[in-house]
Amino acid sequence: MIEKPFFDSDIAWCPGCGNFSILRTLDKTVEEAGIDRKQLVLVSGIGQAAKLPHYTQANVFNGLHGRAVPAAVGIKLANHELEVVITSGDGDMYGEGGNHLLHNIRRNVGVKAFVHNNMVYGLTKGQASPTSEIGFKTKLQVHGVMSLPFNPLAIAIAEQCSFVARSFAGDPKHLQEMMVAALQHKGGFALLDILQPCPTYNRVNSFKWYRDRVRKIGEEHDPYDRQQALDLAFRWGDEIPLGLIYKHDRPTFESQLEVFKKGALVAQYRQ
Amino acid sequence: MDLNIRIAGAAGQGVETTGDLLVETFAGQAVHCFSTQTYMSRIRGGLNWYDIRIADRELFSGRGKADLLVALNEDTLNWLRADVNDGGLVLFNGADNDGVVAIEFESVAKEVGGSAIMANTVAAGAVVALLGHDFTGLESGLRERFGRKGDEVVDANIACARKGAELVADHVGKLTGPESSDAPTAICSGNEAIGLAAATAGVKFVTSYPMTPSTGVITFLANVADRYGIVVEQAEDEIAAVNMICGATYAGVPAMTTTSGGGFALMVEGLALAGMLELPIYIFLGQRPGPATGLPTRTAQQDLLFAVHAGHGEFPRAVFAPGTPQQCYDLTRHALEIAHEYQTPVILMSDQFLADVRKNCRGLDTSYRPIDRHIVQEPPEDYLRYTVTESGVSPRAIPGSKALVVVDSDEHAEDGHITDHLEVRVRLQDKRMRKLQGLLSDVLPPDWYGPTEAEHVLIAWGSTYGPCREAVDLINASGGSAAMLHFSQVWPLNVDGIRRMLGGRKRITAVECNQTGQFASLLRMVGAVSECELLTRYDGMPFAAEEIARRIAP
Repeated sequence: MIEKPFFDSDIAWCPGCGNFSILRTLDKTVEEAGIDRKQLVLVSGIGQAAKLPHYTQANVFNGLHGRAVPAAVGIKLANHELEVVITSGDGDMYGEGGNHLLHNIRRNVGVKAFVHNNMVYGLTKGQASPTSEIGFKTKLQVHGVMSLPFNPLAIAIAEQCSFVARSFAGDPKHLQEMMVAALQHKGGFALLDILQPCPTYNRVNSFKWYRDRVRKIGEEHDPYDRQQALDLAFRWGDEIPLGLIYKHDRPTFESQLEVFKKGALVAQYRQ
Repeated sequence: MDLNIRIAGAAGQGVETTGDLLVETFAGQAVHCFSTQTYMSRIRGGLNWYDIRIADRELFSGRGKADLLVALNEDTLNWLRADVNDGGLVLFNGADNDGVVAIEFESVAKEVGGSAIMANTVAAGAVVALLGHDFTGLESGLRERFGRKGDEVVDANIACARKGAELVADHVGKLTGPESSDAPTAICSGNEAIGLAAATAGVKFVTSYPMTPSTGVITFLANVADRYGIVVEQAEDEIAAVNMICGATYAGVPAMTTTSGGGFALMVEGLALAGMLELPIYIFLGQRPGPATGLPTRTAQQDLLFAVHAGHGEFPRAVFAPGTPQQCYDLTRHALEIAHEYQTPVILMSDQFLADVRKNCRGLDTSYRPIDRHIVQEPPEDYLRYTVTESGVSPRAIPGSKALVVVDSDEHAEDGHITDHLEVRVRLQDKRMRKLQGLLSDVLPPDWYGPTEAEHVLIAWGSTYGPCREAVDLINASGGSAAMLHFSQVWPLNVDGIRRMLGGRKRITAVECNQTGQFASLLRMVGAVSECELLTRYDGMPFAAEEIARRIAP
């Protein structure tokens, strides 16, 4: 994290928010991986997680609610030399922007989506999110959530997403490993779902609740085994698997276009 | 000499193929052409027609009635026969029928060419012969069209065309087509002109969700993408499309999307995003009648006020409305230049009528001439994306250069980062809106057509250019005193300039393909006119010149 933020307002997150750990880990990952921040674009939509790009140093595209993915894909296709990382929340990515997630997993453009999944809406003050569990009570869902939670990992695996992983904001070491793996992944779209406690609006899924449940996937897991991966993706409750859950090798969108063989589109403009 | 040929049939019968072949043949012989298409929202059946008007002078409009009706089935014959001019001919695809020239195109095609698929060629041959036209044009057209399929296919088609001609030999001389003149031999549709202008101006990224009548533009671009180095991608929805081009323009390449009213409605939040982020996106809006799904394959000018006002909040924009394929080309390039000069979204409006118009065009330049993106190549280390300037235009850097480029849909400070400071908000909002002054200084003046002292001014915008222009000629030829004032840029508006042109006229009539006179409303809103009459049409069909002249009673 930047010692002295160069923007003119305070960080908008509550004390104890899981976002702090994600921000610190992202910064550490970028530093240790030697990524040139001038070549890094952080893309977000709207929500508490989507404010992350303002709290570090990078190129920033903080766009509309739910639309981080298409903006990121547009950036990557205009200049595929850039490292394009989406950092946004569960409402943004799995709710408002669900259609874009579905279709960009298919498209397989090499952008990395880090989803801060706290199972609740923070910025709008505590309504249910697509990943909230059945029965979760809020000021709006007064009788508790009735819809089944969205399962991002299972959906991504069903669509043969090239990289699917899950980590936990309360385990920065593991989170960094997963971020590094996602950034090193050259095979296209990467989804990293990050379990993130929200101490203000989600009193159920706290740091302790997660610590008691998360289990790192053992070395025996073959991420190319789709059935095994799906099995892990459906595990939730007493045991929540963390790690690189699924990988699938197929051509990226960029690799299939002749026009990219001559370099980035933006570089070709001058010709 | 002014003839209207109408080829009509059910969807799937080759109406468009025959029409295209004939337009290309006539234009290839330096005959002035103007073709329009009328079709239903279905893939098979129904009633579609393709009008080709040919004359010995430049044409700008279609005509209501036909001089030669080519009816590809019996329903078509029954529906459209009444709209044939006295002295006109009907060429019917079928058995003998009272008063028509009857040929069974499919059987002739099978017999002569070996396949019913060449029925369209038989029809084209018959039409060319009926007009007394030289056959070499059609032959070279067929060679061009089928050359890649081999000599056998070319020869079979030529034989079919000749047989068609032979079968109408008894009727040759009843109609006379115009001679070759100085007409340009190249032809272009409104949508093709837009696509070509975008490709040559350096648009590098195009993404759209298909929607009639805009789809022709992205299809054209897909087919020239390899030549010009463009990425063309079909988006999952219009929201994705507009956000993708916001991303692409942020990263430094000119980018565009194409849509119609319903899709544009979905893009509106993204349009405001481009206003806030100061991104030079280009949106092509091909109009059709609404509300909602409306009449998907018909024409309208109903989205003007929507386009001018679309987006929450206030931000500058420019909206263009070309009237001819040539203007589609010129204004697409111009709109992209304006977008980049002022770092703000532009919208170019057309409609089904203009999208499908094919007309002789004087050599649209196909060479790659990328526009100036107004990008700072070497920004300083302390670069701020939204530096407040007098013009409102801030130096624009792109990511990947020596500075970090930060943009935010929230209100932001000069550095691009989110802010809640109300003074900063006003400073940045004022900065953005100051760009309107520059946009105003670059506004295209409206075109005047007709005598300067005309008493009656027809106000047109966008695709009504042609019908209004020809209506002016008709009115003046019959002793009236009319002129047209055509706006190819509909926002912003130069109020003083418009007042000067309209002052002291006896009558002012806004001619619009909508119900409420949207451009007239806009002119009243900005104070450019006080009162004006309306001549509207909103049944989904374009105006014809004769209709305007008739409906404007002296």
